[in-house]
Amino acid sequence: MLIQTPGEGLYDELFDEGHRVRPHYRTLENWLVNSDESLIAEKRREANVLFQRLGITFNVYGQDQGSDRLIPFDLIPRVISASDWQKLQSGLRQRVNALNRFLHDIYHNFDIVKAGVINAEQVFANPQYQPGMQNLKLPRNLYSHIAGIDLIRHNDGDFYVLEDNLRCPSGVSYMLENRRMMMRLFPELFAEAPVAPVDHYPALLGETLRAASLKPDPTVVVLTPGRFNSAYFEHAFLARQMGVEIVEGADLFVRKNRVYMKTTVGPQQVDVIYRRIDDDFLDPLSGNPQSMLGVPGLYGAYRSGNVVLTNAMGTGVADDKSIYPYVPDMIRFYLSEEPILKNVPTWQCRKPKDLKYVLEHLPELVVKEAQGAGGYGMLIGPRATSKELRHFADLLKARPCNYIAQPTLSLSTCPTFVNEGIAPRHLDLRPFVLSGKKVQMVPGGLTRVALEEGSLVVNSSQGGGTKDTWVLEDDLC
Amino acid sequence: MLSRAASSLFWMARYLERAESHARLLDVSLTMALIDVPEDREEQLSVPLLVTGTLEQFKELYGDITPQHLIDFMLLDNRHPASVFNIIQSARDNALHVRGNLSADVWDSINLSWLEMKELRETGVTESNASQIFDWTRARSHIFRGAAYGTLLRSDAFHFMRLGTFIERADNTARVLDIRHKMAIASQNEHATRSFFEWTALLHSLAAFEAYQQIYGHNILPINVAELLILQLDVPRSLHACLHEIVALLEQVESGDSRKARRMANSLYANIHYGDREYIAERGLHPYLTDFLARIHAIAGQIQKDYMGWQR
Repeated sequence: MLIQTPGEGLYDELFDEGHRVRPHYRTLENWLVNSDESLIAEKRREANVLFQRLGITFNVYGQDQGSDRLIPFDLIPRVISASDWQKLQSGLRQRVNALNRFLHDIYHNFDIVKAGVINAEQVFANPQYQPGMQNLKLPRNLYSHIAGIDLIRHNDGDFYVLEDNLRCPSGVSYMLENRRMMMRLFPELFAEAPVAPVDHYPALLGETLRAASLKPDPTVVVLTPGRFNSAYFEHAFLARQMGVEIVEGADLFVRKNRVYMKTTVGPQQVDVIYRRIDDDFLDPLSGNPQSMLGVPGLYGAYRSGNVVLTNAMGTGVADDKSIYPYVPDMIRFYLSEEPILKNVPTWQCRKPKDLKYVLEHLPELVVKEAQGAGGYGMLIGPRATSKELRHFADLLKARPCNYIAQPTLSLSTCPTFVNEGIAPRHLDLRPFVLSGKKVQMVPGGLTRVALEEGSLVVNSSQGGGTKDTWVLEDDLC
Repeated sequence: MLSRAASSLFWMARYLERAESHARLLDVSLTMALIDVPEDREEQLSVPLLVTGTLEQFKELYGDITPQHLIDFMLLDNRHPASVFNIIQSARDNALHVRGNLSADVWDSINLSWLEMKELRETGVTESNASQIFDWTRARSHIFRGAAYGTLLRSDAFHFMRLGTFIERADNTARVLDIRHKMAIASQNEHATRSFFEWTALLHSLAAFEAYQQIYGHNILPINVAELLILQLDVPRSLHACLHEIVALLEQVESGDSRKARRMANSLYANIHYGDREYIAERGLHPYLTDFLARIHAIAGQIQKDYMGWQR
């Protein structure tokens, strides 16, 4: 099949500036060019059927219940060279280390605030800051045991961190199932390309969760909001792969500040809860009283040190977009190292000077809510109508603290199957970083791709798809 | 294991067993209706409705008992809680709840049944393709059983699932035997061929026709049929076989305090294990089965109380 050439001024993962195939893409390009269109169409159908059968469907919030949808899966993998991954890996390790140090600091000694690196208001007045977490001693001083770091590659060829997800990052099951699917559909490709395996992720996750407690053999459970949650498939998948129970709030109860699950042989104490429920819903007694998902008294048990939550409560303050600009300073402050991964330059609208710049350059910028997620409530300047621009200018003036702005980055593109054949589409990358006795990750991550031409929004709730992510074990292939 | 998970597994297996039973029941009734004289047709077609206790609901929704109406009601109607469509949906719902306890193969077998069932409902089922659908339903049940048997760890998850299967199966055998035995006895006053078909219908409904031939030979006697389906341990759908499994499973399930369900099951098991055909004949089949059904329901209820209904 013919591969459409990438757009001008964009970084393409497969072609370099001279339209030559990058060395680490050679095997794949060769295969694509020699593949018959009908075979590919057949494989795409097969993949769809298989995903339906696995039940990897998700619900879109605000749409009909029961309208199970598949996240579109693209057959062309995104390939990362061994040397790029080396650098990413050290950068991610460094960044997550610093973020965990930061979280420990702002709930204990406040060194970074005292040193004037970040001002007190931005930390303590942040709605995600949990005063109740102050002086709570956590095993190994870890807060974000599982972090998902969103990266993009800009047209200068460098990776930039777009966002840190330190609360309940999801999507790892797609990383694993996409790989399984590719190996099933195209075993011959894996015989030729030295693709680093990712399927030990659940084992590493299990190790990380057990290390979150100081008990020798802790009882670990996965806490899910239930089967109507968009990520339920992933919760069940990980629980099964790790061989631990998947529980709902109603399966747990607290007695004398200890957490138990209701089993067929009576109560059994739980030591580590890998919770996939937001802070506010964990305990109706201390958080949202309407929550039916949580466990009354859980917060008390947590404060007593009788149960470990992964991730900890109150991690949201560190992945907030208003804190994001300070991450490079955190790395310097806590680790005395220079940041390996780049941050996207960010204007903080809370600062009058920045706000002025943003308002003047609105059509060139991306404006995001400081606390938003999922690609909702953002403005992409170059794509916006003048009405939308005026609307956002009003929002900015009314509540500048709520917003940050960044230059419109040109996300790199990668060949993707679309109706017209194979065309370049924008993508990002979310590797998952596990912090336990040490910081570990599997070589890979979730690659999300914007399926519409020119679109920069990769979120699955907004029509994005996913790809298998290949980290090569050596550079030439 | 989690009480909630045990309950979901128990019900998942009950539903899947029920789907298979309904398919057999319906298949036999439709075939019998073809053989029967027109005036008795309705009686044949009403058997599945009597066994499931849905005759009134059916009449409200459909009026006349025709083969097509029966197919629609028993297979596809989502207003009918015991339609095969709803049963498979319920099984899949329960399976979704306990995905963490199921092997990939077991999940796939149930999820695929559901996906195919949805398609079937789109295309519709008529008299002419109904038997294919019954074959399909039975085959899906076999695949589930095979996947469960071949891939699941023999843990309590497996045991609670199997308990669901045998509770449901015992219940179904008793109900079908009760209703069809009465019909077959009534037909004995008519001519011999008719009567023969009635007895074979009963045996086919419980997948026991070949077993009868092998054990008792060609001549079908009412008391033999009752003995076969109640007392014969080697017949997979007999009450004895079901109770035998239930008792063994309750022994295997990890248990905290003393459990009432275990005692109740053992007591019923002893009645059947040491029971004889003369006693059944003396007592009368209908009263005997009525009593059995009450006791099996009590056991099912007690299992839920002991292991799944959780009180602090």
